Amino acid sequence: MREQREYKKVSRESEHGGMDIGEKDKHELEKRNENNINYQAPGMSSDWQFGGANLTSPPMSLVPSDNPMAIGSSCASASGVDSFGSNLWEHPSNSQNLVFCDINVQNGASSLNAIGIGKGGPNSRRSSIDRPFDMGWNASSSMLKGGMFLPHATGILPQSLSQLPADSAFIERAARLSSFNGGNFSDMVNPFGIPESMDIYTRGVGLMQGPQDIFAISGMKSVSGMESQKRKLNATEASRDACLQVENRSTQESPHKNERGSEILVPSKEKAKQGTAGSGNESDKAEFSGGAGGQDEPSALDGTGGEPSAKGVSSKKRKRIVQDAEDDQAKGGQPPIEAAKDSAENQQKGDQNQTTMINKTTGKQGKKGSQASDPPKEEYIHVRARRGQATNSHSLAERVRREKISERMKLLQDLVPGCSKVTGKALMLDEIINYVQSLQRQVEFLSMKLATVDPGLDFNIEGLLPKDIIHLRAGPSSTLGFSPEFSVGYPSLHPTQPGLVQGALPVMGNNADVIRGTLSSHFTPMAGGFKEPTQVSNAWEDDLHNVVQMNYGANAPSDNQEVNGSLPSDHTKVEL
Amino acid sequence: MRPPSSLKQEFLKKWITGLQRCSSSKRNMSILERTKAIKLSADVAMASARNSTTCWSRALIANASKDGSDGKHLVEQILGLESERLMMKKASTGALVCNKRIRSKKILKRSCRIPRTRKCVPQVALATSIAKRMVRKRTQVLKSLIPGGEFMNEVSLIEETLDYIISLRVQVDVMRGLAGVSELVNHN
Repeated sequence: MREQREYKKVSRESEHGGMDIGEKDKHELEKRNENNINYQAPGMSSDWQFGGANLTSPPMSLVPSDNPMAIGSSCASASGVDSFGSNLWEHPSNSQNLVFCDINVQNGASSLNAIGIGKGGPNSRRSSIDRPFDMGWNASSSMLKGGMFLPHATGILPQSLSQLPADSAFIERAARLSSFNGGNFSDMVNPFGIPESMDIYTRGVGLMQGPQDIFAISGMKSVSGMESQKRKLNATEASRDACLQVENRSTQESPHKNERGSEILVPSKEKAKQGTAGSGNESDKAEFSGGAGGQDEPSALDGTGGEPSAKGVSSKKRKRIVQDAEDDQAKGGQPPIEAAKDSAENQQKGDQNQTTMINKTTGKQGKKGSQASDPPKEEYIHVRARRGQATNSHSLAERVRREKISERMKLLQDLVPGCSKVTGKALMLDEIINYVQSLQRQVEFLSMKLATVDPGLDFNIEGLLPKDIIHLRAGPSSTLGFSPEFSVGYPSLHPTQPGLVQGALPVMGNNADVIRGTLSSHFTPMAGGFKEPTQVSNAWEDDLHNVVQMNYGANAPSDNQEVNGSLPSDHTKVEL
Repeated sequence: MRPPSSLKQEFLKKWITGLQRCSSSKRNMSILERTKAIKLSADVAMASARNSTTCWSRALIANASKDGSDGKHLVEQILGLESERLMMKKASTGALVCNKRIRSKKILKRSCRIPRTRKCVPQVALATSIAKRMVRKRTQVLKSLIPGGEFMNEVSLIEETLDYIISLRVQVDVMRGLAGVSELVNHN
């Protein structure tokens, strides 16, 4: 079955407790289970135990069969397998799923239920994903926000609640979306400079209701970009979730924004202003329990899929709101206002918390959300869902803080090799700690090596500098923007070897356009100026160049992660 | 973030300068001392390449400057006296900010702890607390690794970690290149 197929791919990731993405997958997994099989009350303790065991391993085959148990398993694992902190991540989502299931059952619309349940899980996922993606989107696709973004969504707003979107079409759309997003995601993820801006962006973006949909979608897409198939399949869920997610977010954000925009805005004033401005525009939109506006865009992208999901999950009130919003949007005129009315009701009920029934029922989380170990997505939803507290500001701030942390953890995930498969704060921190320790040890080792290699390091430094620099340029980075700087800097460092420098400069100039492969060829003319390196330069060919690279790798401490193309050192010795 | 290649260039230049500065006294040093000098100059060069925009760089330089005379000497030489003063100033303000953050965090925690009305399923609570403990333990370890990390809150800790990892990578690449080249030269 299609769902099972998607779910299998999801289950690959769902094995770990899951910080952001893992969580998400888990939710999807459970969702799918629920979808596939009629939801049963979670009263099967034995099944739970079994499910718990399954959770720890990636039982793709097991999962589909354990649909009813999946939910329980996550709970069971949380309770039974104490050592797995990661299970905790799933637990809140599980409870949420359970709740959602109940609601759906009550509602009685099977299709809606299926999708609604799906929405419950991914919502949390969405939130955490949305943040970084928001930034990426903001940074890279302002136009996207403005225009294409989903004005069509309103028109398309699916009226057919009962109509389950052809999942294939849905998936196609999601896939398209994912591919669309992939590039942006990479842009967003890589540069470190982004974190600061990201922070600001998230704050600003967080307050912006309208674009959230896009972000949700983009988030979904970027996720797809990250992990091809799985993501694509997840995208279907994500898109569905996006609707609900956006709803939740907008509802949550709008009251937040309206009531206490100040504290969150403080750190990023500029962006906050933009955010407020943007959110002001969209506050109306957003206020309709986040549903309409949010749903429009994702629904436009997701087509019918998004809508049913939103509807499925929503309580009666939400449905009403959605329908209203949809109708309004279809008209193109009044939706925000009418929706706002609905949302106003909701808002009146409970400040920050989603006033939808779902939210109330999902207050299972208990704690406001100061559980640092919980994934931000989860927290996001649960906090929103939670009943209004006197410490609203605190919970909001905590949520924002958690989202920030999750964004940065995502960045770290890309930076630290081997971290993308790991999900869960504790595990990722483990990886990061190991990586930092290994890097520090490498530095020590290399400094010791430099100390032993040549007592006359100073001379070598001077003598080798141009060659060394060239080599470095060629090796780690193929950019030769270095050369002008190089030529400027080096004359001061080589007072004793003006000829060398001058010899180096023309070579540098020639090298301006040279890429790494050709750099080595320039070594020979340059080497003429060197005393010692003549023999070395004669031997410098492309092959040797590569060999030296490998040699570096071989000589580095045994950190497999660090060694690029680590060939055994015998290789180089033979060549030499 | 500036591209790693420019960072490498900067780091290399500063490091070379530092090495040359300490090379004058290096003649009679033991290997260990030389190692330390090399590492120190590399670290200081790496930190100064950040121009005290990050907390870890300031903390690193502060640590280097206060440990011993040779460290301080080296740092002064590399950075120049004024920049060092600047760093010290920034370091102090950074510490203040960090303390403020810590204090506000404590207040936040205290206030959050009060209205705790969670329906605690005991297993849930247990699992949650275990996870929290795990994360806290690792955060402590990470704080001990990053220079100046004890003063940061979680968010900035992760940011600093990001920056620190990048700088370490650059450092390792450059050092590796230099080591390889010197080795080749020595072989020949």
